[in-house]
Amino acid sequence: MIAYIVKRILGMIPTLIIISIITFIIIQLPPGDFVTTAQAEIAASGGGMDASAVEAMRIRYGLDQPMLVQYWRWVSGFPRGDFGYSLEWSAPVWDIIAGRLGWTLLLSGLALVFMWLVSIPIGIHSARNQYSLGDNVFSFLGFLGLSVPDFMLSLMWLVFATMTLGISASGLYSPQMVDASWSLAKFLNLLNHLWPPVVIMGVVGTAELIRIMRGNLLDILNQQYVTTARSKGLVEKVVVRKYAVRMAINPMISVLGMQIPKMISSSIIVGFVLSIPTVGPIFLRSLITQDMYLAGTILLLMTVMLLIGNFLADIALAWVDPRIRFEQ
Amino acid sequence: MKRSVLILTLSLVFVIGISFAALGYQEAPQLAELVQAGKLPPVEERLPEEPLVVELIEDIGKYGGTWRRGFTGIKDYHAFGRHVYEPMLRWPRDPRDPVQPGLAKEWEWSDEGKTLTLYLRKGLKWSDGYPFTTKDITFWWYDIELNTKITPAPHAEWVIDGEPMELEVVDDYTIKLKFAKPNGLAETVGLAFHGNQWPLGFERFGFFAPRHYLEQYHPTYNNAVDYSVFEEKVFDYNTERPVMTAWKISEWGPGATRLVAKRNPYYWKVDSAGNQLPYIDELVLTLFEEIEALNLRAIEGGFDFQFRRISLSNYPAFQLNKDRYDYRILLWPDAVPSKLCYFFNQSIEDDGLRNIFQNPKFRQAMSVAIDREQINEVSYLGLGVPRTFTVVPDSPYFEPDIEQLYAQYDPALANQLLDEIGLKKGSDGFRTRPDGSRLEVTVEGMDWDKATLDEMELVVAAWNDVGVRASMKTMSREIYWIRATSNEIQVATWTESRAIDPMVDPIWVFPFDERSWMAPAYGSWYKSEGKLGKEPPAYFKEMMALYDQYKVTVAPDKQKEIAKKLIRTHAENVFVIGTVGMTPNVVVVNNDFRNVPETFTTDWIYMAPGTLDPCHFYFDR
Repeated sequence: MIAYIVKRILGMIPTLIIISIITFIIIQLPPGDFVTTAQAEIAASGGGMDASAVEAMRIRYGLDQPMLVQYWRWVSGFPRGDFGYSLEWSAPVWDIIAGRLGWTLLLSGLALVFMWLVSIPIGIHSARNQYSLGDNVFSFLGFLGLSVPDFMLSLMWLVFATMTLGISASGLYSPQMVDASWSLAKFLNLLNHLWPPVVIMGVVGTAELIRIMRGNLLDILNQQYVTTARSKGLVEKVVVRKYAVRMAINPMISVLGMQIPKMISSSIIVGFVLSIPTVGPIFLRSLITQDMYLAGTILLLMTVMLLIGNFLADIALAWVDPRIRFEQ
Repeated sequence: MKRSVLILTLSLVFVIGISFAALGYQEAPQLAELVQAGKLPPVEERLPEEPLVVELIEDIGKYGGTWRRGFTGIKDYHAFGRHVYEPMLRWPRDPRDPVQPGLAKEWEWSDEGKTLTLYLRKGLKWSDGYPFTTKDITFWWYDIELNTKITPAPHAEWVIDGEPMELEVVDDYTIKLKFAKPNGLAETVGLAFHGNQWPLGFERFGFFAPRHYLEQYHPTYNNAVDYSVFEEKVFDYNTERPVMTAWKISEWGPGATRLVAKRNPYYWKVDSAGNQLPYIDELVLTLFEEIEALNLRAIEGGFDFQFRRISLSNYPAFQLNKDRYDYRILLWPDAVPSKLCYFFNQSIEDDGLRNIFQNPKFRQAMSVAIDREQINEVSYLGLGVPRTFTVVPDSPYFEPDIEQLYAQYDPALANQLLDEIGLKKGSDGFRTRPDGSRLEVTVEGMDWDKATLDEMELVVAAWNDVGVRASMKTMSREIYWIRATSNEIQVATWTESRAIDPMVDPIWVFPFDERSWMAPAYGSWYKSEGKLGKEPPAYFKEMMALYDQYKVTVAPDKQKEIAKKLIRTHAENVFVIGTVGMTPNVVVVNNDFRNVPETFTTDWIYMAPGTLDPCHFYFDR
């Protein structure tokens, strides 16, 4: 088991190096650079910057250097925990994203928990009562959740909360609570701003997980050993919980790894629309303004999170399923 | 500057100043507490000898309150910066008035316009209490503006005939600016527009900087630091940096989601009763990544006074909710000659097209082919003004007869003009070039909002209707901007402002630089003095010569005459085609937010709403 873990961790290093190179190339692909974007953006909001100022900025930021030099300047800082300098914020990249990374992880984590808590019981219920009213209603809701994109749900919630309920829906706190010192009221206020994004982020994945859980359990409930267990007179509850569900849960764990990138991209969109300080809004902005070190670092960190997520899912799977453990 | 007006204003200020000295000044309660506790000198010592007295829009205000606003990120510096407009000399509130005193209480031209003497207010102090003197100006000039590591080339208004101005410091409060030739841009462009604390966000212009604070971070004075440290410390978002503005940023940092600015205890302005300004304690700007989310917050009464980033298309929603959330809506015309304007590129590479585009009759025909009333209804809720692309009525150069020049809807005239210049209509209803080949133009634009794209479609359809085959193409701003400035677009589109005093940055009046999309290549030629771009035809050269003359004219009357001539020539020749201009800003104002006028023409050159003196806005609570 330990050898397996070490092997997996070592295997991640070349992947990371390759990804950092690809990331850097992709970010440099669009025409222009940070400075031309800045010039255009400032001009559009009514400012002006002439060509010589633009050139000076380019030299100051080292954007006139060859790409290889720029790449090296970026990656050589990694061992020291230096992820480069954000051109737009005039600040180290890490300072900008450190605080926001926490919110991203919290929201994504809560959304994953929400997905699991909702989808497993529903999946079991649907499989056991195939084509019943409950199964059909949940399937309908599931498909609805699958087909309505998260940005649409966020906007709908924003408009509904603001216009109909008359409560604040964007940000982490209501405006009057931002400056308040910590109290129960403020904490409840925070929770009230956290559950909508968590639900919105979770909805899409939930539908998918319900389908997977339902399908798997149906397969397993038709297998011979289940029939044997039943014919030997085991209580139905034990048959399902102890034998069928434990087998059907394996794909749910593998899928967990695959849900992580979805959660990350969803946290970008939901964070953007609901003005929640996840790394999402900053990532989007940095891509638009071609703030390359910031965008590159976020992209890289997301890849790391994805790799770690997959890694954890694999370990969890090995832990749950002895067959995988013994194969190693 | 009319001397009589100057003398009158100054003596008035002086008299009022004297009477205050006798009466004493009042200050905000929180500052009074600090004075009591011995943490701050008394208000008389913090104010200069002659504080600037702000002319009230409504009443004398009350101290206190938090002014809530929204903004869209670090690049949106103007969301804060325009409320703290503190230059050497001020733009007037009414653009037809002359430039007003600011940090400098008076100024004097001598030597036939080749020397300008500035007299600073004695006793001005930075927000940390350190005296503001001419040293802060020389520091900016020698160590920022003339330092090629920071500024590649000094701003054009300070370089006359290739010679940078020379500074002569008389004493701590008097400085002489000496030019090679009379400098007609010094008062307006140099001191009122660019006369702020360097660098004003990403604009990188200014006239002074806090020497006592910045010297320690400047590589010339400290070997241990490099220029990136200096840039960080000099930047407006640095909360440690001293300022001369009413509020000073106190909370902002990497990854922050809101910006807080608190009152400057050393602010140098008072109201007519001697109350030190500003009235409002602090500004809080909340960051919104999404414009619609910002608008929603405004709809639910989340802002006390704001028009930046408020969308006209949400106007009905604001009307529906204003009573429920206790705010009022004002419609302030924006100084845009036209919300969207069309530049037929007269320096395009294609010889055939260039000849057609350079013909004034062609551009006149294209202008009268457009139904502006329809565009106003479809895209701007009928709230704009169908007009020619020219200055707005509030401009000192406005003449009523040019506002509707070639702005009528007359397809018959358009067809007639096009026939006259030899663009024959074929059997398919489309015209050909004079040599018989296919005529087709591409109108390019950015991925604007829906209202603007609707307008573009209407205009393109109108041109097709008179037989000029046109199509439209939109793209992201980055790609578009590069294509437009490098002379690749046949018909460019843009939102141009600068309609009060376009002479400050005359990019839409004639080919001034690569941003003048009626002929970017000629613009580059003018800007680089013939080194780059293409040589323009005589009619543009005449305009360039006129502007050269404007630049060396100091007498305001003569300057105005030249500017009017340029504006008239521009309108008569339809160098830019406009449709619907002066589209209103939706201004959301809390019902108890006072000293805000009913109407006001907003223009970025005038730092709107900076000239309304936001330091005297107040909450009537």
